[in-house]
Amino acid sequence: MKTLYACIQCGTCSGSCPAGRYTNLRTRLIVRNIQLGLRENVLGSDDLWACTTCYTCQERCPRNIMITDIVRVARNIAFEEGHAKKPHLYVAHMFINTGHSIKFADEHRKLRESVNVSSVPPTVLSYPEAMEEISKLTELSGFKKKVLEREG
Amino acid sequence: MRIGVYVCHCGGNISEVVDIKEVVSFAGKLPDVVVARDNEHMCSEIGQQMVINNISEHKLDGVVIAACSPQFHEETFRQVVSKAGLNPYMFEMANIREHCSWVHASEPKIATEKAKELVAMAVAKLKLNEPLVKKSISLGNRVLIIGGGIAGIQAALDLADSGFHVYLVEKEPSIGGHMAQLSRTFPTEDCSACILAPKMADVAAHPNITLYAYSEVKNVRGYLGNYEVTIVKKPRYVNMDKCIACGICAEKCPVKVIDVNDFEAGLIPRKAIYIPHEFAVPHKYVIDEKNCLYFTKGVCRVCEKFCPHKAIEFDQKSVEETLKVDTIIVATGYEIFDARKKEMYGYGRFENVLTALQMERIIVNIVKGNPPRDIGKRIAFIQCVGSRDEQIDRLNCSRVCCMYAIKLSQLLKRMNPEREVCVFYIDIRAYGKGFEEYYLRAQETGVRFIRGRVAEIYEKPDKKLVLRVEDTLTGDPYEMEFDTVELSVGMVPGEGTNKVAELLKIPKSPDGFLQEAHPKFRPVDTLTDGIFICGCAQGPKDIPDTVAQASAAAARAIRLMNKKKYEIEPTKAMVIENLCDGCGICVEHCAAGAIEISGGVAKVIEALCRGCGRCVAYCPREAIVVRHYTPSQILAEIEAALSNKQKGESRVLVFADYTCTYRLADSVGTSRMPYTASARIIRVPSGALVTPQLMLKAFELGADAILIGECEQKSSPFLNSVECISDNVERVRKVLKEKGIEPERVKYAEFVTVMLSRFVKEVNSLSELTSRLGEIPAEKRKALSTAKA
Ligand SMILES: Cc1cc2nc3c(=O)[nH]c(=O)nc-3n(C[C@H](O)[C@H](O)[C@H](O)COP(=O)(O)OP(=O)(O)OC[C@H]3O[C@@H](n4cnc5c(N)ncnc54)[C@H](O)[C@@H]3O)c2cc1C
Ligand code: SF4
Ligand code: SF4
Repeated sequence: MKTLYACIQCGTCSGSCPAGRYTNLRTRLIVRNIQLGLRENVLGSDDLWACTTCYTCQERCPRNIMITDIVRVARNIAFEEGHAKKPHLYVAHMFINTGHSIKFADEHRKLRESVNVSSVPPTVLSYPEAMEEISKLTELSGFKKKVLEREG
Repeated sequence: MRIGVYVCHCGGNISEVVDIKEVVSFAGKLPDVVVARDNEHMCSEIGQQMVINNISEHKLDGVVIAACSPQFHEETFRQVVSKAGLNPYMFEMANIREHCSWVHASEPKIATEKAKELVAMAVAKLKLNEPLVKKSISLGNRVLIIGGGIAGIQAALDLADSGFHVYLVEKEPSIGGHMAQLSRTFPTEDCSACILAPKMADVAAHPNITLYAYSEVKNVRGYLGNYEVTIVKKPRYVNMDKCIACGICAEKCPVKVIDVNDFEAGLIPRKAIYIPHEFAVPHKYVIDEKNCLYFTKGVCRVCEKFCPHKAIEFDQKSVEETLKVDTIIVATGYEIFDARKKEMYGYGRFENVLTALQMERIIVNIVKGNPPRDIGKRIAFIQCVGSRDEQIDRLNCSRVCCMYAIKLSQLLKRMNPEREVCVFYIDIRAYGKGFEEYYLRAQETGVRFIRGRVAEIYEKPDKKLVLRVEDTLTGDPYEMEFDTVELSVGMVPGEGTNKVAELLKIPKSPDGFLQEAHPKFRPVDTLTDGIFICGCAQGPKDIPDTVAQASAAAARAIRLMNKKKYEIEPTKAMVIENLCDGCGICVEHCAAGAIEISGGVAKVIEALCRGCGRCVAYCPREAIVVRHYTPSQILAEIEAALSNKQKGESRVLVFADYTCTYRLADSVGTSRMPYTASARIIRVPSGALVTPQLMLKAFELGADAILIGECEQKSSPFLNSVECISDNVERVRKVLKEKGIEPERVKYAEFVTVMLSRFVKEVNSLSELTSRLGEIPAEKRKALSTAKA
């Protein structure tokens, strides 16, 4: 985290950012706002969730700042502080209940068949007994509890 | 011995705390002391005269003055005793002001006891002192300059004009360095070649300069006044006397060579036989054996056939020559950063991505009416390529790239106002005289400055380049298309600089450039007397700074040589030959390269020795000592510091290097900051002189804790002393542990002279530690007598 105080606001991160090309995410400004202690600007902003965690900025930063890692930490804090977005919670729910973050639809099945792989992927869909393991894991890791707490 | 002890009142500064009478009477009873006196001001006329009279009256052969810090009056009293015919090294000072009365003002009794002990320590050391004489080396007027860029040229001309003889060695076929390649120079826009060429010609014509172009220094032996230098002259395969540079050979030569390291930076091909450029000095052709058909395939020799002067000599061999010189100046300059290492910019893959040096050559050739390529209408400059970048371990700023980009961009814009020229930067550093004005002019010319470091470049099928960058001032990311991209590459230390650093044992700073002796006061000296550095070999800089440093280096060399002789301090390492078995361990550890093995024993080259004492710490046979600070002399002080220790008292021995820690302790005194009276400060040139054996002996004799205070490495006049001290301390700790004594009783600390409270804290915390741990049991101390570290 401390590394971010070395930031010289050069913009290599935002210039490199594939998500920033299509969203308002300005990686540089995340670093700047944290430097200045402007919590709400970071935690309360939708941009924080636009990062794809591709690590390109971190690889290029001339001050070796762990930018992507910092974004992930900031997201954890944002989540803890109740800034979780609806769609994220929806996805989390899906995962807890079905072992998949998105619904397996007919079009997916068709697509798979068209490229000659098994029509159902080798996941909980093929091995329903694995759902038990997933439940155990989401429980043990505290993931389930955290998500349910946020439901409000 | 017959010793005189003199105790100073310092007009109350000492006498108001310390009972002077008691100290004098104590001193008078010490063995070998024949007179003990006191005076209101020992440094006064009267005080000095008393010492001089006493020396002859009482036939004294040694003098101790107990007064202020030796920092102030050691030199004064050395002269006083010399006046009376004593050797100046037969004298010691006991610092009872800064290290006693001023820091123990509230405890007069304890201060008096301590003052007595400090006197006893000085007497004990003095008894083992020996008369020492300064040796002197005679100095001539010969200077070797390595590197023939503008730095080497300027230094050579200054020295030669002052009547010194210069041997200028340049590895390339011509002198001139990078400046020869530049278009114009910021901020005045002088034509670089036009102002450099006359200086190059002066070098060639000067009767006091011997030029060795296309040559390298292979070996350097010796020291100030006595350097023996081996130079290798590479074969040019062209007879220098016969060649008149008519160029017929190159016209006929069938081989075309493209090389980015060439004068034209790989933009214009040359032949295998060539002259670097039109104002090359020496103005002679040279054959490049890596590309010549005769050397690669054994055929051709066309040049030989056509040369009207029979100047081609394929059988030339490299020739070695030995020179004797008195001083050496290193002016090996820089190399540009290899831009291929920043893969995101595609240099070497995308043909329209160029380096700054290439852009310089393009501009020169456009002006000549001979553009080597079409650079198009849209041109981008990317700053800080190879500077300010930890990804490639180059954190430093290269200091010239902002300004040359401001120069090149506006030259391009002015040549053709229709061009769109953009400079992408992190910060613009226009710190020099006329620089900000020049920046303004570029803006007014219409160059666009965009604040953002370019993230990446991709090449389109039509070879146009797309830059991805955030304009950090609007906060918007852009993709922008350009015809040509210039990379403003930084400066890095070159192979040539690295080689010379190794040969001459010049240390490097963290940025890889050569390290000066002191960043403020000795910017062109090295820690080795007689070796100087200047120009970009020392760090990135522009031409005015380079020239200023070159003239400074010349002046510093002249300052030494003008004296015709050089006095060497006698406090240098000395080998006790009958103990030395020639194992060579000292040679390995001496960072100054001051020891060699000859005739089966180690020999110290005193002119190179810095007296740091690393060798003393590592010699397994105790066969090497530093004069005036030998282990027995230091031990005598230790013994005296401990012999009067009473039951319930403790002693913290503080060994203070005289560059930083000792002065620091003086400042603590001057600031009247009290600390534990158990501290006994012993002055040494470097903490490295306190060998592990000495520390163990101190614990055996009654020391309760030891602090070795050493100058922070970067302010120290000694190389790697801290590393040696930390090694020594570790060795001692290991033994203490084995013998059941707490290893934390010994430690070292790096100081600079302003860390007053830190010093007090370190000393006090050791004293608290000793009271916490209690007295070391006698049998454990005894067990140390046979221990070896
Ligand atoms: C693109 C660019 C543009 C610039 N524009 C400007 C400008 O407009 N104005 C300005 O003030 N400054 C400018 N500079 C900076 C300028 O180039 C330097 O300040 C100057 O050249 C430094 O001179 P030097 O003699 O120290 O080093 P160099 O020019 O590098 O000369 C060093 C010489 O030593 C030789 N050498 C190296 N190693 C050895 C060895 N082991 N044995 C023998 N010879 C050796 C080299 O061959 C070379 O000839 C620019 C720099 C760059 C990169
Ligand atoms: S790339 Fe690094 S230094 Fe530059 S703005 Fe981003 S975090 Fe700061
Ligand atoms: S005292 Fe230091 S400089 Fe001198 S010979 Fe020993 S190690 Fe080398």
